[in-house]
Amino acid sequence: MPIPISDHAFEYLLARAGLTLTDAEKAELKTVCDGIAAMAERVRKPRGRMAEPALTYGFAEEDLQ
Amino acid sequence: MTAAIPTIAEAAKQIAARQLSPVELTKACLDRVHALDDRLHAFVHLTGERALVEARAAEAAIMAAGPKTPLHGIPIGLKDIVDTKGIPTTCQSKLLQDNIPDIDATCAEKLAAAGSVLMGKLTTHEFADGGPSFDLPQPPARNPWNTDHFTAGSSSGTGAAVAAGMILCGIGTDTGGSIRGPAAYCGVAGLKPTYGLVSRAGVAPAAFSLDHIGPMAWTAEDCAIMLQALAGHDPRDPASADRAIPDYRAALGGGLKGLKIGVIHHFHETDHKVGAATQRGITAATETFRGLGTEIREVQLSPLQDWHACGSLISIVERAAAYEEWSRTRLHDFGERMRTRLMLGAFVSGVDYLQAVRRRRELRAELKAAMADLDVVLTAVFPNEAPKIDALPKWDVFQQPSFMMPFNVAGYPAMSVCSGFGERGLPVAIQLVGKPFREATVLRIADAFEKATPFRDRRPPGV
Repeated sequence: MPIPISDHAFEYLLARAGLTLTDAEKAELKTVCDGIAAMAERVRKPRGRMAEPALTYGFAEEDLQ
Repeated sequence: MTAAIPTIAEAAKQIAARQLSPVELTKACLDRVHALDDRLHAFVHLTGERALVEARAAEAAIMAAGPKTPLHGIPIGLKDIVDTKGIPTTCQSKLLQDNIPDIDATCAEKLAAAGSVLMGKLTTHEFADGGPSFDLPQPPARNPWNTDHFTAGSSSGTGAAVAAGMILCGIGTDTGGSIRGPAAYCGVAGLKPTYGLVSRAGVAPAAFSLDHIGPMAWTAEDCAIMLQALAGHDPRDPASADRAIPDYRAALGGGLKGLKIGVIHHFHETDHKVGAATQRGITAATETFRGLGTEIREVQLSPLQDWHACGSLISIVERAAAYEEWSRTRLHDFGERMRTRLMLGAFVSGVDYLQAVRRRRELRAELKAAMADLDVVLTAVFPNEAPKIDALPKWDVFQQPSFMMPFNVAGYPAMSVCSGFGERGLPVAIQLVGKPFREATVLRIADAFEKATPFRDRRPPGV
């Protein structure tokens, strides 16, 4: 289970991103932070330190077989 | 096909035989725009006079020397995130209301070079995300099958305009389903090509590594004709593939005997269970393909939610990066839906993003292995018919895993093909997914399906 975001962390992340939100927007956004955290958990699998990220550009010839 | 609205293939044949005038064809499309667009809102900028000038020029050239391509003299539209020289390109945003590009996007340039007639710019969700929105400079497009219902997005105007016969084909873009979604809800054909096959140069980004440009038209054959004009290497796009381009249309009609289709049952039967009409469409399509001589197999992949999380995290971050400057300085000039999507970027860390990109490599390898002995895989596009336009959840990204996002994550070609109609008379669709750069196979299978079923004979009511 993702850890709920604290008010302090929430404000810090918004400030770091340079976003100026209304109180209503902040309240709504807080309701979906858990959804982001759940997605972030879901992409973490046991893969070890050597696993490379996907290449953005171009399929290798082996992908085309 | 409906006599009043020809397909590109039909129109091109008649134009080549001097039996159909590009001017008359363009006027017929303009008449439909004038009759229907007050209700459908498919166009944000109609270039009617210019279209007639182009149609007259096409007609003169064809009379003198014959058509240069099957698109010569064919009325088309461009999603309004595609740069067009001298024509407003607003991305449906207050931020770009005065934007008039001084150079065409590569895809616009290629379609013009093929001789097509530009009818205008088509409605999109703001910067190709976040719709439907009612607080943008122009209203959202409406579904021609029932205007109370959603077109899907973000290539919403293209889907509506093709279905209503205002254009014979148009450009869509697809970051998580924005070609295939509107194609499905509007009952047209839409192909998201392999990543890199069609240049993104001059098209506003949604998420750099997930963005694809592709054709939307009434039939798979028309998509093949359009893709022929669009595909090819472009040095202006850093992700552009440098590969030989096959003859897509020549690949059609060879029969399907011996081809192998994998059905990803768990995507649409357990991971995100679809409604009865969509399931009936998939089951009937599978039987149709079996009858056409294909072998049907079952495919197992990671849960749909894994693909959706991977693509969504990448999309959130890449969009936030692309629009960071405006987010910091003009956040409240964005519409509400786009604004909320941009805010999400603050809550995905750099490590989260890179774990998603590492997951992407694993998922792509998984799909490659699953398709090793298959030609295409099949699943749903949406769980149901189009919902009411005012009934869309704002945070659907967290509530409903997308059937389309997996193939943006993988970069594989994927196509939406109409597979019937639901209880409310709205279209439903199947999704066909091919191996990288095997668009010809996807189009061949889609074309055979369309010709074996009656769904291309039916246009929206009142069209």
